[in-house]
Amino acid sequence: MSEYRYVAEGFEDAVQHFEELKPEAEVKLQFAIPEKDFNTAGKGSFELKNMLKRLGVDSVVLRRIAVASYEAEINVAAHSKGGIMYSTVYENLIHVCFEDQGPGIADIEQAMTPGFSTADDLVRELGFGAGLGLPNIKKNSDAMSLVSAAGSSTKLEFLIYFA
Amino acid sequence: MIRNNTPYFHAIQILEDNCTGCTACVRVCPTEAIRVRNRKADIDPYRCVDCGNCMDVCEFHAIIPSSDPLDIIHNFKYKVVIISSSFFGQFTEDISYAAAKQAVLELGFDEVAEEAMVTDFMISIIRDYIRVNRDKRPILGSNCPAVVRLIQVKYPSLLPNLLHQEAPMSILTRYLRDKIAREQKLKDEEIGIFLIVPCVAHVTAVHQPEGAYKHLQDGAFSAGMIYGRVREILKEIQNHPVDIDTYPQGLTWALSGVQADLVDTDDIRALSVNGVENVMDILSRVEDHYLDQYDYIVLRTCTNGCVGGCLNVENPFVAMSRIKKMSKEGTNKEIHVEELEKLYAQGEFIVSPLAPRPIMELDKDIKKAIQKMKRINEFLTMLPGLNCSACGSPTCYALAEDIVQGKASIDDCLVLRRGNPDLDEDE
Repeated sequence: MSEYRYVAEGFEDAVQHFEELKPEAEVKLQFAIPEKDFNTAGKGSFELKNMLKRLGVDSVVLRRIAVASYEAEINVAAHSKGGIMYSTVYENLIHVCFEDQGPGIADIEQAMTPGFSTADDLVRELGFGAGLGLPNIKKNSDAMSLVSAAGSSTKLEFLIYFA
Repeated sequence: MIRNNTPYFHAIQILEDNCTGCTACVRVCPTEAIRVRNRKADIDPYRCVDCGNCMDVCEFHAIIPSSDPLDIIHNFKYKVVIISSSFFGQFTEDISYAAAKQAVLELGFDEVAEEAMVTDFMISIIRDYIRVNRDKRPILGSNCPAVVRLIQVKYPSLLPNLLHQEAPMSILTRYLRDKIAREQKLKDEEIGIFLIVPCVAHVTAVHQPEGAYKHLQDGAFSAGMIYGRVREILKEIQNHPVDIDTYPQGLTWALSGVQADLVDTDDIRALSVNGVENVMDILSRVEDHYLDQYDYIVLRTCTNGCVGGCLNVENPFVAMSRIKKMSKEGTNKEIHVEELEKLYAQGEFIVSPLAPRPIMELDKDIKKAIQKMKRINEFLTMLPGLNCSACGSPTCYALAEDIVQGKASIDDCLVLRRGNPDLDEDE
C-alpha cells in the first residue's frame, strides 16, 4: 500500500482543520462508474456540475471542480474494473472521492508524472490516456490524496474550497 | 415592437385561448423556462433564450412568433433592408436569386443589402480576434443570439470566451448608417434599417441587443412573412429581369458547417455544432476544458445553422442544398472593404462584456442554497419520479425545486393526488 498526498500552498491549516473537525455533510451525490463504459463516463461529473451551478458556486471554482472530477471519472472508467464516485458538499468546500475495484496502481510516483500512461489500445483509440489525468487533478485541487497498491483497489480524493 | 410587460423582451407569444395545457412545450424547453399553471403555459422571461423549440412542438397554434409588421418602414424617410443569408435558400430553383432580391427591394425599400456581402470580411475579423485572444481559447462564435443567451443563463463561466465583435448584419448596419447619413445628408433618426431574419432569437436581438454600444436596427421582419409578400410580385419581376448584385458565396454563412470550414486555417482549428441539444453538450465539454484543442467553435441552436430557423419556410436540408448549389455556381460581386476596415480599426464593432444571468442558482447566498437543495432532495423522495410533467413542471426534480422556491405545491403532483381522496374532494 502506498500513498500520495498533496496540499496546495496556503491551504495547510484549512485542510488540517477540516480533517480534525470532520464536519457534517450537507448534500451528497453518488454515482456508479462502470468499467470501460465510455458512453456513460462523464455523467457523474455532469450531474455534479449541475449541482454546483444550483448552489451558485463561483464559475472559476466550478470549472476547476469540473475538470478534476471529469478526469478522475474517466480514469476510473478507463483503468479500473469500475468504481463509485462520491461527492459531498460542505458549507465551504466540496470533497470528491473515487473508489474503484482494482487492479490498483503499481507505482504512484510514476502515475503522478505528466505524460506517463498505462492506457490500453481501446482507451487510446477513444482519445483518452494521454497521461495527464492525475497531474491535472492535482493542479485543480486544493488538496488531494491517492491511496493504492498493485492488485488492490484505488482511492482518490480531492478537496476544493468554494472561496 | 412587442413588449410583454417583462424586464426581458421575447419574440415568442402565448395565445392563452388556444393553449390546452398539454405540457409538450414544457418538456422540450432546454432551459426549463415553461410551466403550465391553471392549464395554461407560462414562459419565464429570465430563463427563455428564444430557441423556438416550444413553437415547433405546439400542436395547437398556442405559441407563436412575434415580428414587426412591414408597414413600420413608413416611419422613416430612407428605408434599408438587410437580408439574412438563409433567405435565398427558401425559393424553389425556378426563381432566381436576383429576381427574389429585386422583389424584396420592391416591397418599398430604398436600398437592399445582404448579410452575405460582409461574411468574408467577418471571417477576417474572426481570425484576427482568435489570434489576439489565444489565452481565451476556444473562442465561441456569437452570431446566434440564442447561443449567447444560453451561455448567459446556463454557462456563465464561458462568457469571456465569446467573440466580442458584432455579427455581420450589425456590422453592415453600422457601416450603412454612416454611409447613408453622409451621402444622403440625412439624420440618424430618418434612416430606418431593418432585418429579414430566420428566427425569433434574431427578432429578440433586434429589439433587445446584448452588448451593443450604438443604435443598430429599427425592426425585424420574419423571413416567412417576406417570402409570402415576395411571391405575390415575383411573376412581374421574372418577366422583366433587372441587373442586381448578388453574393452567392456569402450565403454559406447560413450553414454552420461551412462557416467553420471557412474560418479553419493553418493556425486555427474550428469546430461546428448545430441543434440546441448538441450545443449544450459542447458548451458543457468546453467548461470541462475538454475542447481546448479548438481555437474557434461555431454554435447554432437550429438544425444545420440559420437555414433551420423557425421563421423559414423551407426544410433546413433542402435550403442547405440550394445554398451550396448557388455558392458553387456563382461568384460574389466584389465589395470595397476599406470603409469597413477603418471602422473595425476604430473599434466600432466591439461588443461590451455580457453580464451573466444565472438561472440555475437556488439562492445568492451559498449557505441558503445548500439548505434549499436539502429540502429539494427531501421533496424528491416523496415524488413518484415519473417525470410525467402532468403537474406542469418538466420533471419531478423541477417540481421539487419549484416547491422549495415557493412557485408550486406538492399537491400539484397528480400522481400523488390519485392516491389521496381528501385532496380530490377539494377540486
